[in-house]
Amino acid sequence: MKKQFLAAVLSAAMIGTMMLSGTAAAAEDTVQTLTVWCWDPNYNINALRVAERIYQQDHPGFTLDILERNAQETIEKLATSTTSGKMDELPDVMLFDDTMVKQELLSYPEAFTDLTDLGFNYDEFSPSKVAFSTIEGRNYGIPFDSGTALAFYRTDVLEEAGYTIDDFTDITWDEFIEKGKVVLEKTGHALLNGMGAYNQVAIMLASAGSGYFDEDGNLNIADNKAIKEIVRIYTEMVNGGVYMEETGWDMYLGNINNGTVAGAMNGCWMMASLQAAEDQSGLWAVTNLPKLDGIEGATNYSSQGGSTWTISSNCQNPELAVDFFKSTFGGSTELYDEILPTGAVATWLPAADSEKYEEPVAFFSDQPVFSIITQYSADIPIFITNAYDSSARNAVVNAITNVIYSGAEIDAELQAAEDTVAFEMSA
Amino acid sequence: MNKKILPRIAKNAILIVISLFCVFPLFWMIIAATNKSSDVIGGRLVPGTYLMENFKSLTTTYEVLPALINSVKYSVATSLASIVVCSIAGYGFEIYHDKHKDKLFRVLMLTMMVPFTATMIPLYRMYARFNLLNTTIGFILPSVSMIAMIMLFRQNSRAFPMEIIESARIDGDSELGIFFRMYVPSMKPTYAAAMTITFMNAWNNFMWARLIMSDASTQTFPMLVSNMTAGHFVDYGQLMLSVLISTLPTIVVFFALQKSFVAGMTGAVKG
Amino acid sequence: MKNRTIGIRQRQSMTGWAFLTPAVILLVVMNFVPIFQALLMSFQSGRGAQMKWSGIGNYLRMFKDSVFLQSMKNTGLYMVVTVPLMIIIGILLAVLLNDPQLKLKGVYRTCIFLPAAVSLVASAVIFRSLFATDGFVNMVLVRLGILKRGYNFLGHPASAKIVLMIMRVWRWVGYQMLFFLSALQNIDPGVYEAAKIDGATSVQSFFRITLPLLKPMILYTLIMCINSAIQVYDESVNLTGGGPGNSTLAMAHHIYNTSFVNVPNFGYSCAMSMLILVVVGVLTFIQMKAGDTRE
Repeated sequence: MKKQFLAAVLSAAMIGTMMLSGTAAAAEDTVQTLTVWCWDPNYNINALRVAERIYQQDHPGFTLDILERNAQETIEKLATSTTSGKMDELPDVMLFDDTMVKQELLSYPEAFTDLTDLGFNYDEFSPSKVAFSTIEGRNYGIPFDSGTALAFYRTDVLEEAGYTIDDFTDITWDEFIEKGKVVLEKTGHALLNGMGAYNQVAIMLASAGSGYFDEDGNLNIADNKAIKEIVRIYTEMVNGGVYMEETGWDMYLGNINNGTVAGAMNGCWMMASLQAAEDQSGLWAVTNLPKLDGIEGATNYSSQGGSTWTISSNCQNPELAVDFFKSTFGGSTELYDEILPTGAVATWLPAADSEKYEEPVAFFSDQPVFSIITQYSADIPIFITNAYDSSARNAVVNAITNVIYSGAEIDAELQAAEDTVAFEMSA
Repeated sequence: MNKKILPRIAKNAILIVISLFCVFPLFWMIIAATNKSSDVIGGRLVPGTYLMENFKSLTTTYEVLPALINSVKYSVATSLASIVVCSIAGYGFEIYHDKHKDKLFRVLMLTMMVPFTATMIPLYRMYARFNLLNTTIGFILPSVSMIAMIMLFRQNSRAFPMEIIESARIDGDSELGIFFRMYVPSMKPTYAAAMTITFMNAWNNFMWARLIMSDASTQTFPMLVSNMTAGHFVDYGQLMLSVLISTLPTIVVFFALQKSFVAGMTGAVKG
Repeated sequence: MKNRTIGIRQRQSMTGWAFLTPAVILLVVMNFVPIFQALLMSFQSGRGAQMKWSGIGNYLRMFKDSVFLQSMKNTGLYMVVTVPLMIIIGILLAVLLNDPQLKLKGVYRTCIFLPAAVSLVASAVIFRSLFATDGFVNMVLVRLGILKRGYNFLGHPASAKIVLMIMRVWRWVGYQMLFFLSALQNIDPGVYEAAKIDGATSVQSFFRITLPLLKPMILYTLIMCINSAIQVYDESVNLTGGGPGNSTLAMAHHIYNTSFVNVPNFGYSCAMSMLILVVVGVLTFIQMKAGDTRE
């Protein structure tokens, strides 16, 4: 009896779970709702919520339906929906990293809406940012936050080595290494660390307005002077102990937060992570980046890790979506003022006129960091992006690994990297 | 005297050292959950005072309870469905074994040898066609019939005495009746073992969940956790508290079933 | 003409088939259909959803793909090193824990199983901090005078592979141990008594009694371990991200990257998966032929 009961319970449980299944269908009649996929509740989602509130003032029926999805999930979902022809599984709006957006636009052209003629005010954004989502003169994205790169230094450590922040302003990479070695010798601190070479190489390459490809989309790795110079500098930094290679974001940030490393170089969004170490308040200062010496187009400015909104081809009302973004991310200083404390800096140029941007930040030695960022943004060179950028970057990082740890020769390794990417593109 | 005590001390010493290595992550997670983010990654190994803050930031940022309920619902449903289907099949493969069934079994083993990356697109396409996206049944279905589970029951069924079956047949019991009345009760430990493994797998399976569950109300707890490392700023205190919460159910299930779990595997070598 | 017993046999065999049906249908629909579609896709190539037939191009491509060849070498190494380690340590731990006089067995058992249950995210963070340049492992090695100063284990290609394998063994050895422990507990203690009277040492009885009786369980764990070793993905993604460079990249990780990280080429990614199917399939088939016997 008991056993039969158990069996009955088991099968009942099975059937029960089958019945419980609910289906989620997008409601067709509420055109005042936009569905969005993006990540980071304290940053991107927070910004959206503020924008929603601002837009609601003039559009009472408007709502955003936000689902938290990290970038990788969005890409998986994009792939499965597109290959299955199930575009209606996609939301109206998707967020992508600047470094990934072109790859996704070119890989799944059928999944996105061309925004060029929908009246979005692109000329009010910094051109280097708009370039990420522009393909053959057509715009597919709405620029969001700035990835303007900053060099952060611990002034107390610099002082111990006899330097000030000015000694690290407007310098070349060779000067940086030289001074970095002095800092290491006198204080025992490395000046930089990073998750392998990935971000560092990207920042350095962008600072010279260069890329892994030329303007015509041809591979440009083996004979690219900027890349060769970057490999040389990076190798020298690692071998000299000025740069510590880490595995994983936790190790990277951990060694900065606990004071092992006395500097950082990354997009301005990095501020929020530095500020987590409250005990270091007032000890940090920011300045511009070292420059690649003798490379054509080299500057002290770069960008890393901002993101861009895109509108899917499933969006039933792209006009509404564009109007929402135009009134908020492309037209509201109120929005940008409110999200500034989270570290989200506008690429919409008029936002920088706000007084909020002039306020000193105590954590960074009372520097007006946000206006510094806007100032730097204007000088970031437009760099060449391509759908195969992430593959190219991986290949170059692999080449660097071989140079540093296996003593391989730079030229041969870069040629091999170029061959690897060419091979991938040949499919 | 010495001859007996020394090896025992050595044995215990070895086991204690190994156990410490293995317990360390749990210990570390508990410590980390009580510290603030910069201390966690800064390498602090002393309990802190941030447990409540971490809990507050977790519960204000995320819908923790609905996600946990979803996770429990999906995992329990998956493991129940799986042990029913797999045990019947494992029993069938062994008790009624013949050349054809053994061959079929070997062919079926191919199903575990393809990386999920390759099958996820076709599987998704099938799901989209049959409107199974965003459904509980959709979550469960791919993990109900698992060849590893079937093999566990198949191997275990070798220990089941055929005489019991024969005499029950003579008594006029139906084949299904024998399975439910004789086999299921005597294989309780195997069921407990299978339950633990399937529960653990279902609980941690967010690769599939995140593909087909695109509705906010269907999110599972591990899906939330996988989003926590995506931002510019990662709160490691909150992350480790979440990871701890996410680990506990499996540990609880293991604790509850561990005695039977060990005994359940036992049958596999008999015969 | 047929006699009654054959009739019953046939009826029983049919019942057996009926018992298999639900599981087999599910396996076919949920696994074989997608695998077959993946096989079809492996003969196509193209970017994203625009795929064209390309014959066996993808299969030829694999052997020219330096990243894939590297990942294959890595995965092969992981398999050759970790599978025997997991199984041997698993058996040894099981033998240690099988002592009837041992106290706190349940506690040890649970502790050693624990790493399998702990979230991978946490395990990866812990391993990275343990093996960091100023981490615990380096601290000990420097104290003992083995190293002069901290070594960046995860930063160097060779040592990063070793750390990855240590983590893998650490995570799964307890899981294997349980299978063996259960098998051991089933051996009649009388057999050992008899062997002792015959003058066998404990080492001899381990090799002559324990190992042969563990054979079916070794077969099961071996098949499962090899299968999961060739499909290693978690550690490569979460612990090292495949780095430094591609030096720890696993095959399944490369396959994932080909579909969802780099410019997508699903056909090629399916072709690489089919190679895994063939390799694991052949290895499993050999083991099943040799080991799946009924006495």
